[in-house]
Order: sequence, then C-alpha cells, then structure tokens
Amino acid sequence: MSNILVIEDDDIMLKAIRNILRKDGHEVLTAKDGKEAFEKLDNEEYDVVITDLMMPYANGLEVVSRLRSNAAKRHVGIIVCSSVGNEETITEAFRLGADDYLKKPIMAGELMIRIRKLLANRNSEVKLVTKKK
Amino acid sequence: MWRDLVDLLFQAYEQFSLLPLFIEIALAFIVIAILATIVAYSAIMYKRYKSYVHDKRVAFISPIIEEMITEQVLLNEKLGMDVPTEDIEFDPAALANKIYKKPFVRQILIETLIAYRKNFRGEVGELLRKLYIDMELQKDSFSKLKSVRWEKKIKAVVELTQMDISISDVTILPLTNSTNPSLRAAARNAYVQLSKNEPFKFFDIATEPLLPWDQLELFKIITTTKDIAIPNFSRWVSYSTNKSIISFCLKLIAHYDQQSAIPAVMELLNNKDHYFRADAISCLGKLSADAAEEKMVKIYTHQPLNCQIEILKAMGSIASGRNLEFLKSEFLYSSNFDIRMNAARAIIRHNTQASRLMVEELMEMTYEENQLIIKHCLNPLIKY
Amino acid sequence: MGATFVEYASVFFETTVFLYGTVLLLIYAMLAVMSFINIRLFLRKESYTDYKVIVGSPLAPGISVIAPAFNEGLTIISNIRSLLTFDYPNYEVIIINDGSTDDTLEKVVNEFSLVKVDFAYDIKLSAKPVRGVYKSTDEAYAKLVIVDKENGKSKADATNVGINVAAYPYFLCTDVDCILHDQTLQMLIRPMMEEENKRVIATGATLRMANSCEVDEGVLIKIVAPKPLLARFQELEYIRSFVLGKMGWSYINAVPNVSGGLGMFDKEIAVKAGGYDPASFGEDMELRMRMSRYVYDNKIDAAVRYIPTTLCWTEGPTSLKIFMRQRTRWARGLLQLMQAHKKMLFNPAYGRVGLIVFPYNFFFELLAPVIEFLGIIYYIFLIYFGLVNWPYAIILLIFVYTYSVMISSLSVLWDQLTFQYYKTWRDVVGIISMVFIEMLIYHPLIVVFALRGYYFHLSNRTHTWGNMQRRGFKKATDNTPKAATT
Repeated sequence: MSNILVIEDDDIMLKAIRNILRKDGHEVLTAKDGKEAFEKLDNEEYDVVITDLMMPYANGLEVVSRLRSNAAKRHVGIIVCSSVGNEETITEAFRLGADDYLKKPIMAGELMIRIRKLLANRNSEVKLVTKKK
Repeated sequence: MWRDLVDLLFQAYEQFSLLPLFIEIALAFIVIAILATIVAYSAIMYKRYKSYVHDKRVAFISPIIEEMITEQVLLNEKLGMDVPTEDIEFDPAALANKIYKKPFVRQILIETLIAYRKNFRGEVGELLRKLYIDMELQKDSFSKLKSVRWEKKIKAVVELTQMDISISDVTILPLTNSTNPSLRAAARNAYVQLSKNEPFKFFDIATEPLLPWDQLELFKIITTTKDIAIPNFSRWVSYSTNKSIISFCLKLIAHYDQQSAIPAVMELLNNKDHYFRADAISCLGKLSADAAEEKMVKIYTHQPLNCQIEILKAMGSIASGRNLEFLKSEFLYSSNFDIRMNAARAIIRHNTQASRLMVEELMEMTYEENQLIIKHCLNPLIKY
Repeated sequence: MGATFVEYASVFFETTVFLYGTVLLLIYAMLAVMSFINIRLFLRKESYTDYKVIVGSPLAPGISVIAPAFNEGLTIISNIRSLLTFDYPNYEVIIINDGSTDDTLEKVVNEFSLVKVDFAYDIKLSAKPVRGVYKSTDEAYAKLVIVDKENGKSKADATNVGINVAAYPYFLCTDVDCILHDQTLQMLIRPMMEEENKRVIATGATLRMANSCEVDEGVLIKIVAPKPLLARFQELEYIRSFVLGKMGWSYINAVPNVSGGLGMFDKEIAVKAGGYDPASFGEDMELRMRMSRYVYDNKIDAAVRYIPTTLCWTEGPTSLKIFMRQRTRWARGLLQLMQAHKKMLFNPAYGRVGLIVFPYNFFFELLAPVIEFLGIIYYIFLIYFGLVNWPYAIILLIFVYTYSVMISSLSVLWDQLTFQYYKTWRDVVGIISMVFIEMLIYHPLIVVFALRGYYFHLSNRTHTWGNMQRRGFKKATDNTPKAATT
C-alpha cells in the first residue's frame, strides 16, 4: 500500500507503531536514532515519515528540515510524534514543514486517520501535477 | 586443645595491652579495614550476580509480555470497530500463562503496561487499563500501598494513577498529609486526578510549599485528565496564604486564559514580595489584560528591575498602542540594557502602522548600541 | 639545649601529625556513611520518578548550555550535534569559539548553515571582545548560538562571554569535548526544583574517563573502563571523589567544588557574584566560592547539590607529562583560591562554607601534600639516625594502607550499588586492582605534582597552557575537568 518510515528511540513505541501500521496494511521500516534514519531516508523512498523529536545523533527537526529542503523528497508526508508539548517546539516543527504534530500519549486511531489523509492529499496533488503537464 | 587456644589468645591480648595506645588503635583499625574491604568486595560480587540474574530474567520475560500485549491490545480485532472497550474480551488462554502468577513477572507486566500507557491514550489506552484490571494487577499495586517504605507507597500511588484506578478517600487522604514531601506530593496528585467531588481541596489547606518539581506533574494532571472540572483559579489567588499555590494558580490561569481572574491577579500588584509581583505581571501579560496596563505603567517607576522588565514584556503582549510613547522614552533614556532591550521588543511586538513608524524613527535618531538592540529584536533568527 | 629543642619539636610534630591523621580518617569514615545515606535516598526517589513529565511540560525552566571550544576542528561537528540532542524541551546551546586558529568556525558555519547576526547583549561579565555571533538559517538548529571571540587564554573568559549571551535563567557549563548523557539537563535541573526552603545555586553529577569507551559521532555507544594505567587511576580517583566525596558533602550541603566539566548554575547568582575569574587556575572552584560568598553576604539561604549518576565522560590525560601539567595547575588553583578568599576561613559569617568547606580544603587538600612530604623527610631523618621503631612504623604503614584501601573499596561498592556502568568483570577487576596499587604509584605522583604547583605559584612562574592539539577523539590535554581529590 504505502511505504512508511517510523523513527523513534523508545523501543516499545517503535514496535507498537510498526505493528499497528502493518496491521493497517502499510509497509513499515523503522529507525531507532537519527543516524539510522538518515541512512534509511537516503536508501529508499517513503510516502510518510513518522518521527520522534529527541533522539541520539540527530534531532527530529533535522529530519523534517532535510526532507523539506531536498526537492526529490519534498512531497513526503511528515508526522511528528513527540512527548514535547511546548508551543515553541510545535510551531518550529510546523514552520519547518511538518504536516502533523501528535503529542504523546497518542491515539492510535487518530494516527491512522492522519496517515490516510496525508496519503489521500498527496495522491490528489500528484494527479494535479500530472494534469498540468 | 581448647585450653591452649584460650591461653594463646590470652597471651596475645596481654601482649596487645602492653602496646602504646596509638598502636593498639592502629591494629584494631587494620582488622576493621580488612574486614570492611572483604565485605565490600563480597557485596559487589553479590550485587553484580543479582543484577545479572535479574537482567537475564527480564530479557527472557519482556518479549513474552510484549507479544501478549501486542496481540491482546494493539492488534485486537475489535479496535476501531466502535465496540465499547468494556465489552472487548481478551483471550483467556493468553492471560492464563502461569508465569503471570509470579510477583516478579507481574511487576514487569505493570511497568510494561504503564510504558505503553505513556505512549497511547484513547481506545488503546483504555484497553491497556482493562488488561491491567482483568489480570488483577491493581491488587499488586494496592498491596504495595500498604508497604512501610515510602518509595514503595509512592510507586503504588503512581501505578494506580497511571492506570486511572480510584483509591478510596480513606486510603489516600492520610497520605496527602504525610510528613514525607515526596509521598505527600504523589498522594495529592493522585487525589486531584481521581477524586470526583473536590479535587482541589488541598489548595485550601496546604501550608507547605508546592515545589516546582511537583508542580510539573500536577500541571500535567490538571491539564490532561479528561473529566476534571476546572475551577476559577482566582479563588486561591485572592484567598490563599500559600505563595507557591498562588503562583501555581497564576500559571493555570494563564494556561486556561481565565479572563475573569484579571481583577484578582491585579490585586497582587500591591504585594510586598517582588518575585511574586513579577509572577502576577507576567500572568497579566499572558492574559493580554488590557485593563491592567494603566495600573502597570503607573506603578512602573517604583518597581525593582525584575518587575519593570516583566511590565515591559506584558505591555508587548497587551499591545494596546496607548503607551507607545512611554515605551519609546524607556528605550531611549533608560541606562539599563535589559530595560532598553525589552522596551524595544515591546514596541516591535505591537506590529501596527504606528509601531513600525516608531521603530524606523528610533533607528534614525538613536546611537549605535540601541540600533543594534533594534536589529537584534527584528531578526527572526534570534528568539530571545 | 639543642637536643631538647629537637625533642620538643619531634614530639610536637608527631602529635600534630597523629591528630591530623586521625581527623582525616574520621572525615573519610563520615563521608562514607553520609554518601551512603545520600545515595540511598537518591535511589529511592529515582525508583518512582518519571522524567518524561518534565520533558513534556511547558513549565520546564530554560537552560543555556555553554561550551567553549578552542581548535576543535576535528570533532566540533559531532560534538555540537550531540549537544543538540538532549532530552529536554527548553534549552539553547551556546558554543564559544575561543579564537581558534584552525578551521573550527568555518566548519561549523558550513555544516549548520550559519549567518552572522546583529546580536545585542549586555556585557555583564567583562571578557575579551566578541568578533561575531552566528545563528542558523535552518530552523532545525534554532537552539544553536555560536559566539566567535578573541582568545582569552582561559576557559573562564570564554564561559563568561557565554553567560553574557545566555537567554535562560540556568546555565550548564561544560567542555565541548565532554560526552554528556542525553538526560543531563533533566537530571541536573531536578535538585534545583525540589528544595523546600533553600535556593539551589549549583548542581553537579559524576564524571568518568572516556578514554576506552566506544564513541561514535559524539554518542556514547559502550562504556568501558579505561585501559591505560594512568587513566584507570584517574577513573578510580573520580569515582571516589564524586560518588563518595561529593555525595557525602552534598548530604550536609558542604560541597567543596562543582566540577568545570559539568555543572549547572543559577545564572542570576553567578552573574551577581562576578562570574568566572579569568586569572584563576581553578576557575570552577573559584566560582563556587564566589557564589557562596555572594549568597552569605546577601543573606540568601542557598545550597549546592550533587547527584551520583554519571552524566559526563571526559578524556583523561594518559601521558605523564600532560598529567603533571594538569595537576600542577590544579594545585596552583587551590593555593590561589585560598589566598583570594582567606577571610572566609573559620569565618562563621560564611556558615558551612566558612566552617566546613574552607577548613577542609585548607587543611586536607592544600596542606596534605606538604604534611606528607614533611613526614617522609622526618622519617628519613629518623632512619638516618637509627631512631625508628621499625615494628611500630610498619604497623602504622599497614594501617594507613589498609584504611585507604577500605575507603577506595567502599567507593567502588557505592558506585556499583548505584549503577553498574561496567558490563564485564574484567572492567571491575581492572578498577579494583588500582585500589591496591594506587597508594604506591599514583599517590606519590600527585603529591609531587601538587608541591610543584605550590612552588610555581609562590615563585610566580607563568603557566604554559596545555598542549591543545586534538588528535581526533583520542587526544590528550591537561584541561580535563577537575575532580578535586576529596
């Protein structure tokens, strides 16, 4: 269905999200820190990236920033999923180009709906682009 | 044989008692030191062995527990099907595994469930709670509550609140007055979250300070617990004699944007403690309390530096536009750097036609350092 | 006549040394007990604490992380990256480029897309001029501030600039090449937030040697006890000094020093106390004294607290020459400090600092090498004249040896009770074996280097700052943070 990269340093959360999304029919890859995340982002294409903020090697905001500044990857849907809830961090994430911000504890149902929405929006955008051509 | 030994010891003692005092002390200490060293290394060995065994057991059990939770909760077929959580049944066979009878495993189970609850709320969170109850883990938590050790009691209280299990008033109320500050704080947090009638009762009676560290947890509980009735916090601002509770209420007033609290907060501007006044001013700023601006300008000159800075900040967020001239003169004529910086920022935050003109005008008429301040405040890359 | 004088002198000397020794041993015994109580209290609190609460809280106080860098071109990028990954919601990272002569600044500017900004700040603490302040155009690095300044020849000068620029009420002082735990900020801010009637003005945590640890891009992968002998001795010394010493003193609010490698401070008090002293050889301890002086002079009821967790790993010198330079510098710092603040000694106006911290430092840190040295001279003199009562002398020697072995063993035990950093028995045995040979090899070195420091200070010799060239991560400098041999 769609390719999702989950970046999260909490092992329990990482496996949980992976399992839930797989059940929902997505192809899921995982990364447990910033370094692994960048490697996996370079090696494969994703439709959606779900990232935590505080991790070893690199901050989740860097992941967002790198994706948005790379023309080839700009279309990837990004959901930030973090326990940080202060206004400043949330606005920073959105300004950098995150599509959604979920504060932990999250609702699994909500996460799935947001992913579906992102995918739907993306598909319609892709269609628009092809029409223009 | 025995006699010989006793004789020998006796002789040794006689010899020993003939020695000078400091040598006697030294000899005694040598014995003590050698014994203590031996004990220390035995303890290190024992401790390391114990944690080795513990780690091994955890490594064996955790995957089993995680798999069970994944299957029974995360991947439960009935999730997202609009089935009420209470009606979702777990597979009895999965829960009946006899390892779940061991206290050690049950504790890991509780901790794992809590770890999941910290990541998931909503339906999954509810189902995790149901699993906790169905496996009768609350019994384990309640029995910990009876422990004589305070940290165990706290652990129990934390587990029960995390799982949203109500604790009877008879059990929790005595703990809210415990002499141990940490236990007291945990019990109060639990009471606020779990009590249905008057969660904020202790705000009325507490005489000890509410420590900033404990405020973190309490703030989280108040702002995230679902069906808590949020009172008008100005009540305590007006009547409480406990300063830390008042400043905590100021933070809550700002968080909930309780505009009706403005008059009560304004009363604090006359308080003698200047740290406290600064908190009140900051709260008024966050409420964008237009009505308080004149009063703040009026009292400004007699305030200490920290309050003056808070007033300038508050004026920046109120941004009424009525006192731009005041801000301008503070910016131009104050000898204090922080005052000039905050005055400039307050003018810029107005972000109106008039304020922008004023900034341009100031840029032209002032000297280099002040120009730098303006540039600093205008730069979007610099946040503070 | 001469003979009686010598006799009197020898009786006086022996009695003094005996008393001195007894008091020192009692203090150590007391520290062992107090640190045990304090560590247990810490562990009990830790057993139910959830640090995620502060990470998710809008009430988390702001912290400025200040790290000076001088010619760190080889490692600066990964060091900054790791400072940007703390588990804390509200902080900034201020890197001070202290007039590096290599490409430190260029590298950082390129890597983090920095631009020079018009940055206004108040020069609250005087220091060498700032050449420029840089911020990133990439919002992902909004937390980062780089200050480029002229070299001030001291960490104090660079840190003072950082304090001037800092935006938040607390600051964490560290070295750019220290490896910090990602929970450092949340764990160090906690003691600041849970004292009922005292204002906590500084907090610190344990430091350890990074020498043999596996490190990847500034992230600690695996903790390994140091392999080089000299570093292993230092590891043991740090464990004793922090886990047993500082934790014990912290219990009665008499911490002598907050290490320069890792310490969190209340900015308001630090600034009012005058900040770091650039002329000091032991600027960390000097700041602690200044702050204490300020709070007592202004009747603020303050405290300095330590936690036993290791939050910082630092590279200890492995060459004898650099090690010597480091210890000589520390000794000078101590002597300098005692001279500068001598009015605090036994002064009840300075409470515990005047009556416990200062006297302890004076008698048992500053004078210890001198007394030990005199003791040895005295013994040589006795041996020369055949006046030694050999059995007694040997008993006393064994006594001192077993006692010091016991204290070191206990500190290793306390450390193991707290957290088992070493994964293998080999590491543990490696450290324990140091306990038994420390007194014969390491300790004499320290005494000699300290005396060298005193001599230099009293003869006013200028200090040559340590070899600052970095060789990748594996490097050696003499500016490892001080552990203060408590």
